[in-house]
Amino acid sequence: MTRILFSDKLDNCIAKWRSAGLTVIGPVQGESLSGYAAVEKAAGFEFGMVLPERPLKELFFPQTEPMLRYTIKKNEIDTTDFTAPQGKRIIFGARACDASGLAIDDPLFGWDYKDEYWFQRRNESVIVTIACTKADDFCMCTSLKLAPDSTKGSDVLLRPIDKNRGWLIEELTDRGREAFAIISDYLQESSEPAVPTVVVPEKFNLDACVTWLQNPENFDSKFWKEISMRCIGCASCTYLCPTCHCFDIQDEGDTYSGIRRKNWDSCSFALFTMHTSGHNPRSTQSARWRQRIMHKFNYFPGKFSVNSCSGCGRCSRQCPVDMGITETLQEISKL
Amino acid sequence: MTENIQSTQQNIYKPAIMKIVGRHDEAPGVRTMRLEFQDPADHEQFKKTFRTGMFGLYGVYGEGESTFCVASPETRKEYIECTFRQSGRVTSALANADIGDLVTFRGPYGNRFPIEEFHGKNLLFISGGIALPPTRSVIWSCLDQREKFGKVTIVYGARTVADLVYKHELDEWQERADVELVLTVDPGGESPDWKHRVGFVPTVLEEAAPSPDNCIAVICGPPIMIKFTLISLKKLGFDEKNVYTTLENRMKCGVGKCGRCNVGSVYVCKEGPVFTAAEVSRMPAADL
Amino acid sequence: MITQEKYRTTVKELLASGSVKMVIGYKPGSTPDRRRPLFIRTSEEADQLVLDSTCMTNLSGYLVTEGLLSDEKRVGIFLRPEGIRSINILAAEYQLNIEQIVILGFDSTGRDVRPLEGRNAGDFSGLLSEIKEKPVQTSKEPLLERIEKMNAQERFDFWQEEFSRCIKCYACRQACPMCYCRRCIVDSNQPQWINTSSHTLGNFEWNIVRAFHLSGRCVQCGNCDRACPVNIPLRLINQRMATEVLDGFDHFAGLSPTQEPVLASFKKDDTETFIL
Repeated sequence: MTRILFSDKLDNCIAKWRSAGLTVIGPVQGESLSGYAAVEKAAGFEFGMVLPERPLKELFFPQTEPMLRYTIKKNEIDTTDFTAPQGKRIIFGARACDASGLAIDDPLFGWDYKDEYWFQRRNESVIVTIACTKADDFCMCTSLKLAPDSTKGSDVLLRPIDKNRGWLIEELTDRGREAFAIISDYLQESSEPAVPTVVVPEKFNLDACVTWLQNPENFDSKFWKEISMRCIGCASCTYLCPTCHCFDIQDEGDTYSGIRRKNWDSCSFALFTMHTSGHNPRSTQSARWRQRIMHKFNYFPGKFSVNSCSGCGRCSRQCPVDMGITETLQEISKL
Repeated sequence: MTENIQSTQQNIYKPAIMKIVGRHDEAPGVRTMRLEFQDPADHEQFKKTFRTGMFGLYGVYGEGESTFCVASPETRKEYIECTFRQSGRVTSALANADIGDLVTFRGPYGNRFPIEEFHGKNLLFISGGIALPPTRSVIWSCLDQREKFGKVTIVYGARTVADLVYKHELDEWQERADVELVLTVDPGGESPDWKHRVGFVPTVLEEAAPSPDNCIAVICGPPIMIKFTLISLKKLGFDEKNVYTTLENRMKCGVGKCGRCNVGSVYVCKEGPVFTAAEVSRMPAADL
Repeated sequence: MITQEKYRTTVKELLASGSVKMVIGYKPGSTPDRRRPLFIRTSEEADQLVLDSTCMTNLSGYLVTEGLLSDEKRVGIFLRPEGIRSINILAAEYQLNIEQIVILGFDSTGRDVRPLEGRNAGDFSGLLSEIKEKPVQTSKEPLLERIEKMNAQERFDFWQEEFSRCIKCYACRQACPMCYCRRCIVDSNQPQWINTSSHTLGNFEWNIVRAFHLSGRCVQCGNCDRACPVNIPLRLINQRMATEVLDGFDHFAGLSPTQEPVLASFKKDDTETFIL
């Protein structure tokens, strides 16, 4: 027997969570873009999409984040810290790839120096993932040794039952159990089976790719130039990536007062690594694309024992020139 | 070599406020500033953590932060000295700041030169142009406890005589009997009264031919100088493991998050900026 | 299919005769409805060439890739009429030598794709003049009609809502053949003209500066619109600016490789009393 949350009880649950002080967030289809956003009613959710166009990452690492306000007076500088917004949240209906993305970035934001902007939000968020029953041509979680029902990064995993009538509940963490204790009145015991998760075909052999990437000889392979020839150097793949975490720090204001912000930045941009002297270690687009792939599948796992890719496929799905991680790794598999 | 220090600050991006207490023009566009902490707690933290080789992010609110080394030695922690060339937005703002003005400092970050391991050894410092500041931090850390080290040789070169930095300290080292200073400028960069060498650093180094026996070499300079100096050191018989250098990459966070300073798998801000030549040779050359 | 086969042959001939070193075209993408840019240097690569109505991307931006044309060799490129206009502008702005470009023109109506007569930019001047005089009659987009009916405040609110999604990935800029500046204004920080943050102000600054920068230069190829990962209808802004420039200055961008850029040319008889 497993507990089950029926869809028609979701409004009650949302109300209950909200009255317990949680902001309820989930997949929402906007007029022209989908993403994760707060809702007040279950009708606001859209569970039918493969995955939202915007990544879950932005709820933890927003594209622009004020960090400090400075005011400069004579012989004095006042600074006020901005902290991440307080308040508990429940992300209901995350995709497994998005939830995994958060877990992948945790060690990066936490090694030695803890980035409180990230962890404040992480600690106050309950991630309820719904296993995928559909996928598109770009989904590739299985190629990353993850799955449509991966539990990485999730506090609760829900498995849909037939006809979208509800979800079987697998509580994974204490945080998840606490959140579901709040709505326990609305849950029922059931032996109904879950709809099988979607089969996502494996698109490349990750181990073979990693072996190739780890071979120092391949760093200078002409493959990099060929594969990235059509890359136009925009940052849409990195910005929509659930794990890309690079940022810039910028001051906005004048000599007297202003705000220091943390803004998304991307290794795709030529200026990203440009030294003041004009020397640029990664002066070509092929060097930058190589860095992105190497970072995700060679360097990052070398540091944190996990690939910096959860297989959501957004990079390929929205690339203006139809590039992406999938194609690159498929081509590497062939080498 | 990695040795990182836990931050006690809640907001790791919040800098300490520093007062400019001294300024000195070293060369055209190159300035040294002496900074003092305004908050004793920040100063205590600095005294606890700073070791030679570490870097910081120096900033002016409204303009941003810029990364360079701490040029003062670990034997003198009452202040921070930094030397920079005015080139970008932040360094221009720093250059425009006057004595008494307040600027910011975030750090010290990164690893350090393992100076204890240099005890009892001969030291060879090789530096070019604006890259003397990181070397200078090591030089003074050693000269301030001179008895612990063997022979000290400093090879320093710049494009022209005017581009030599720390001229007053060069004079001081010149006069010390326990330091051998070899100065050089690039051909064409000499002034009529120039009494020292003329030639590129690697060539001058090979002529000076310091012995690699029981010797540690520290080299800092522009990438092209480092490249050829490493070749010269190899010719002289130096083991890559006994040659240290610092990498100065573009950085924003300084604490291993922003992703900018990566060279291959190395986060320069955390695993560096100090590396042995052996470590550098394992990095992808094209990414340096 | 016939057009595609003919063009494959043409490309092979061009390469075999040495008259071009490379041809930039299209090949199948990762799904049946996608096409991706293809750089053809060999006969085998020419066999990958696809030409059909889904080949939408204006490829002309690749011509200004650093170093591509510096050996003075010729390069062939598949272009729709908008693409031909783009390279005319690039030539007029001294970004490329038009003599080095071999045009493989095509256009499509519905699913039919047809070749355009000519190989050199000059061969298409008649066609472009016709398009200027008789713009292809497409029904006005409902969204554009909706916007034009709005008052100033409503329009402002509309665009504020649209720009609020901007993530400053600069895909619009990178996809645009006209955005060839080595250092974009957003990347300049002395002074910092435009806030780099993607908040309301920064997003407005970026998108409006870009719209003005493209006035009299945009050919409405739609690259920016298709590239935008957050689906901002960028084409509408640029279409509107193109209409303004056409009405106000009788300037149809990219009519010829020697056309004077409208915002960079000065006329003594200009009715305006001030040059900004």
